[in-house]
Amino acid sequence: MRYLAYILAQTGRNLKQTWSTQCMTLLTVSLSVLIFAFFFLIYTNMLAAGEKLGDELRLIVYLEDEIVPQMQDQLERKIRGFSDVEKVVYVSRKKAFDRLSKQLDKDKDVLDDLGPDFLPPSIEVYPAKNLHTLTQIKHFADFLATLPQATKVQYGHSWVERFAYFTKLLQIIMFLSGGLLILTTTFMVSYTIRLTIFARREELQILRMLGATDAYIKVPLLLEGVMQGFLGTGFGLLSLYFLFTWIRERFTGPGFLNLFEFSFFPLQILVLITGVSIIFCAGGSLTSMRKLLRL
Amino acid sequence: MKKTTENTPPGEIPVDKPFVDLVKVSKIFKPSITALQDISISIARGELVFLTGMSGAGKTTLLKLICCLDRPTKGVIEVEGKDLSRLKPKQLQLLRQNIGVAYQNFRILPDLTVFQNISMAMEVAYRSPTVIRRRIDDLLNMLLLTDKRDTETGKLSRGEQQRVAIARAAANSPSLLLADEPTGNLDTETTWQVMNLFKQLNDAGTTIIIASHDETIYKNAPFRTLKLVQGKLV
Repeated sequence: MRYLAYILAQTGRNLKQTWSTQCMTLLTVSLSVLIFAFFFLIYTNMLAAGEKLGDELRLIVYLEDEIVPQMQDQLERKIRGFSDVEKVVYVSRKKAFDRLSKQLDKDKDVLDDLGPDFLPPSIEVYPAKNLHTLTQIKHFADFLATLPQATKVQYGHSWVERFAYFTKLLQIIMFLSGGLLILTTTFMVSYTIRLTIFARREELQILRMLGATDAYIKVPLLLEGVMQGFLGTGFGLLSLYFLFTWIRERFTGPGFLNLFEFSFFPLQILVLITGVSIIFCAGGSLTSMRKLLRL
Repeated sequence: MKKTTENTPPGEIPVDKPFVDLVKVSKIFKPSITALQDISISIARGELVFLTGMSGAGKTTLLKLICCLDRPTKGVIEVEGKDLSRLKPKQLQLLRQNIGVAYQNFRILPDLTVFQNISMAMEVAYRSPTVIRRRIDDLLNMLLLTDKRDTETGKLSRGEQQRVAIARAAANSPSLLLADEPTGNLDTETTWQVMNLFKQLNDAGTTIIIASHDETIYKNAPFRTLKLVQGKLV
């Protein structure tokens, strides 16, 4: 208990002696965490949105003409033989017409002159959940296009493609900002600890002469790094939370953002980011100690 | 208190098992400055010894070797029966906590108060705050520094700073106390206050080595005096 009290007192002395640099480091760590966590948040939300879209994904195979039930079974077997699918639904011309007129509701009289046969029959394929990547979807669509009677396969190709590329871009930005986070936390904290050691060089020498143990000298410096990591990450994540809340409040209503359900990090992710950040800050602290403290 | 007569030849092993034992210790600074040459001294537990000699005779170097701030080029130094060259870092740190050193150049921090400077020595030994307060107040009282308790040491006179350094050395009631020119900046009255403190510590069982060229403090004193001349014991 007494040991802890003295260690904390030493840490307090360190912070007091280099408080301006400590503040700068804290700000830098916070900003780095904020930048990284911001992109990470968008990325995880996009992944969730992607998964949701994947659940609703369906490929529509337009057919040249109506097909008999036997042919329908045969096609379904072929499709299931190529890839796992949730379900396959045959939509006849009449069924398609009924759906459209139901969708048009009050304006369905626009269909009066067209007659019930003007829409092509189709097969709606709902792929299994394991069909994730754009390449897999494309590959499956290519196969569907080769089915007998198939004239066209539609699945919002360009939209899915753009979404996949955007997610990829976010992934790259996330890794870059993650790298930035590692560099800033490690180097800034290392630099701050270095300054602390220089500022207290005389005192540390005296402590050594008085018989201070390694723990008495090193643990406060390590704690300083840990505190930088904890507080810096805390401020960064808190800022992100306020930013997130602000955006959600301001941009609610019809619009792009309403297509997805945006959510903040779960507790586990918050703990993980904080933990990793603390490890890097402590690493920076240890690096400086190893270089400058000869006990 | 173990008093040895003035007749005791320099460096002779006292009756008891030596507390500080130096065997043929030499220190040569690069390129070829011999600071100490073949020094053999045995000091018994609870003894008070004066180490005398002119400036540059090697007194400070010898004290630094005894408190492990430097290593000898040759020879063996044992404190409390432990060979200093074989101590592990942890053992060395514990030994240092048990050796109080009052440096010639004080080595105190000018921006810390008198109390903070002295308490540093006790904090590294994890003494309780109550013990620290009580002990420091006693020491300050003995060294006539009570009114300077919360003054930054940078604002004190040289004599006062010297007393702070001595108080810090004595703070942990160490088993060995090394004082390098402890009265160099003090007036007669304060000199005797400091010597009185040393005597009290010695009476309580602390082994003390005082390096000094001030003849007035060791002349006619009932303690052994070792004289260094150009790095040799005479």
